[in-house]
Amino acid sequence: MKPELDPESAAWTADLSSAGPARDGATTRLRAMLLRVARAESGRRRASLPALRPDEVEDLCQQAANDALMAILGKLPEFRGAARFTTWACKFVMFEISTKLRRAAWRDRAIETDETVWATIPDRALQPLSGMLEAELGAALQQAICKALTAGQRQIFQAAVIDQVPIDVLAERLQRSRGAIYKMLHDARSKLRQALIAAGYGELIS
Amino acid sequence: MTGTPIDRLLGYPGRDPGCEAGFEQLDQYCDAVRRGEDVAHRFADLLTHIANCSACREDTEGLLAVLEELARPT
Repeated sequence: MKPELDPESAAWTADLSSAGPARDGATTRLRAMLLRVARAESGRRRASLPALRPDEVEDLCQQAANDALMAILGKLPEFRGAARFTTWACKFVMFEISTKLRRAAWRDRAIETDETVWATIPDRALQPLSGMLEAELGAALQQAICKALTAGQRQIFQAAVIDQVPIDVLAERLQRSRGAIYKMLHDARSKLRQALIAAGYGELIS
Repeated sequence: MTGTPIDRLLGYPGRDPGCEAGFEQLDQYCDAVRRGEDVAHRFADLLTHIANCSACREDTEGLLAVLEELARPT
């Protein structure tokens, strides 16, 4: 059953679904709101964007507002009012600006795949575990990574978990969707968890 | 994710709907948070995903922050 829209959401959808000046006005107001959100989010993330010039960031905000506006107008018939219209609309521009900012921040950085990294995993990935886990868990994890994961899963696991590469940057480089990359990561983690449980470390990782 | 180092490596167990299904619920979740509702049960799967996916976690934090800003008088 379709939820009853709150008055503000009903006004947005009515205006955007109409023809003529009401639609034009609503589209202009919506784009202004999307741009405001994109600028606010880029400002919030300024500390993580040291390599981007202000004009580059503004250009990304404008692109994000445009791309989100197109997505929102295309999906407007699917809006059911489960959330407020403005919240629903803002999630599209949040997705656009955050993806663009992360990709821009990584544009000059190579993503390296190095199969020898697993020999150093106790130092690189498990270093924070020192004092908490026994050394053999590190060895078991290293063995599980090498034996239980496919080469593709090791690549994603290394990049996303060890090297902290954002998954939408990986998605762009590997020409896959963000969801597809996340599923590979999720599957890899599940395999490792199962392998460690089978090796007798269930209590430590549950 | 703010759990143990092993959680950061292996993720939290539990039903994880993934990025696309999480995106579908994100607006409802943020509205519920802003209304002060108890989201732990209704959005349990989404919360698992947010804990496991740094990109979706950043987007969720960002959406909650901008909704707060939009609610302020201009």
